[in-house]
Amino acid sequence: MRWTLWIVLGLFPLIDGHPTLKTDQNSLETADAALNHQNGSLNSVLHLDDTEKAALETTRNDPAFPMKELNTSHYPATRAAKVAQHYLNYHHGSPFKWFMVHAVKKASSEDIPEVGKKYHIQFSVQEQATKEIVGNCTAEILFRHTEVQSAPEVNCTCDDLLKIKTSDADHALYHHIKHQPEPMTGMDIPDSHGNIPKEMEPFWYLGGIGASFIMWQQSNESTLYNMAHVHSVKQLNSENDLLAFEYVVLLHDMVSQEIIHWHMQVAWNPTQGVKVTQCHLLPKGTLKQPSAEKHKI
Amino acid sequence: MNLVTEQYKDVVTQDVLGMTYENQTINYLKIGEKSDKPKKVIWMDCGIHAREWISPAFCQWFVKELLENYKTDEKISRFFQNMDFYVVPLLNMDGYNYTWMENRLWRKSRSPSPVSNCSCFGTDLNRNFDASWNSIGASQNCCSEIFCGSKAESESEVKAVVDLVGRIKNDILCFLTIHSYGQLILMPYGHPNKTAPNHDEHLKLGQNAANAIKQKHGTSYRVGPPSQILYPNSGSSRDWARDIGIEFSFTFELRDNGTFGFKLPEDQIQPTCEEAMAGVTTIVEYVHNKQFGSAAAATVALWSTVLASYLSLLVLVQ
Repeated sequence: MRWTLWIVLGLFPLIDGHPTLKTDQNSLETADAALNHQNGSLNSVLHLDDTEKAALETTRNDPAFPMKELNTSHYPATRAAKVAQHYLNYHHGSPFKWFMVHAVKKASSEDIPEVGKKYHIQFSVQEQATKEIVGNCTAEILFRHTEVQSAPEVNCTCDDLLKIKTSDADHALYHHIKHQPEPMTGMDIPDSHGNIPKEMEPFWYLGGIGASFIMWQQSNESTLYNMAHVHSVKQLNSENDLLAFEYVVLLHDMVSQEIIHWHMQVAWNPTQGVKVTQCHLLPKGTLKQPSAEKHKI
Repeated sequence: MNLVTEQYKDVVTQDVLGMTYENQTINYLKIGEKSDKPKKVIWMDCGIHAREWISPAFCQWFVKELLENYKTDEKISRFFQNMDFYVVPLLNMDGYNYTWMENRLWRKSRSPSPVSNCSCFGTDLNRNFDASWNSIGASQNCCSEIFCGSKAESESEVKAVVDLVGRIKNDILCFLTIHSYGQLILMPYGHPNKTAPNHDEHLKLGQNAANAIKQKHGTSYRVGPPSQILYPNSGSSRDWARDIGIEFSFTFELRDNGTFGFKLPEDQIQPTCEEAMAGVTTIVEYVHNKQFGSAAAATVALWSTVLASYLSLLVLVQ
């Protein structure tokens, strides 16, 4: 009996280490498993296995081909995809159809000597109103390396783009606006808290589609634009069958963090889509800053 | 903040971090089981950039979640025993106030320009820390949104963080700073030529946090150093924290991806906070368990000790 006890006690240190402050190497691996995360290394704190390391490499250079594979979550790919988004919106958007990049699936780039850099992106987009995902988009984006800003040249197609049908809504809005006694106006969309009155939403979208033209034109490899705010929108007189609006929009460039003010005139009808007929940059400080709530904190 | 401190005075202390340029008091909360012994710390600050309103909202949510659940949730209860949470709900109070009163899209502090021929206000607090200060991704133009100041730590808000964090750095297990937008979990460094010694561990932990976020509401967050996934930058609080030896340091960029940007609508506040909570908890749990062992291991260790003691007693009695 006594010997058995001694053996058991002697074996204890082999089974268990220090009784209190043991670092549990397996805690995150357990969390991994619970989160369906593949992990091969269980013998120390978090390590990337070779597959994960390879997936995270910035570029893979194969001298036989000029194309450089890009990491889809790195900014060269995401900035190029954003440009494709702007292009897509300008060419296919409407007051009821506005796309955002959903995921970048594959990306590569090639240097074109004396010209610039061309990106090849496969990505999906999500339409904001319907939340529908258009899964198969491909784009080629050429950024010319010029002294002054020049618009990137874009070729972009998506399968199933036409599955998002907004024709009825577009026509209904068009007729509604045409038959109003007074031209419409609006300001500060969204408001400080992100609210947008339901009847203003199509004009927010329309501003976003028009702004997409400007953002596309102004983009380069060192920018990432989103529309931050519609300062004002005002319907203009138009004699033809196009509706015309004057907008002041605020664009946010993620890289410089600057807010840039643009004035634009936008023409639209359901069959011809959206066209920016005029636009110009407003100097910083020209207009009163976006109004905020006059609350005391 | 006073109400919370009063209502939960067993576990919450409120203290002064420092002062803003406009002489407002920056407060922070120290949350955890009170103890005479020094405890390990989890640091979280919010509202360093004024227009990122979801950030201070998240700090409030985080505090609420901790306090509503520490008595019933075993995990949080353990956290409270072993660690203190230092939470700064709103660091850039001057800037935040300005977004309510004057300009919703203001980013920087509200200190006047240090440069005589430049009349703009404000320094980007997240370019003002002494971490490769003014080397890349920052500007010396005082009108720029990323103006890094006349020198590192020129801003009183930054000085306030540096003073306290510097004093307790050996106890801080993890430094978290909350921003928007972009749906990113950023790790050191912003400078493209710098890599943290525990880069891989950071990346894996960040990815686990992103997975936890995705499980909540399906939102995708990207993970990596800003020099790769966002833009090169310098002078950030996250990089400074890593530089002074805090083992884990993350920036969270919350929703969205540019649709509403800084003006996230009300109906997205709660889901954003819920998913961010899941991400933050993943990180906190890891750094806690790395330091103190997991609950399971602790239980096994405890019972092993008890059994060993019992057996020893039997031997002595024999």
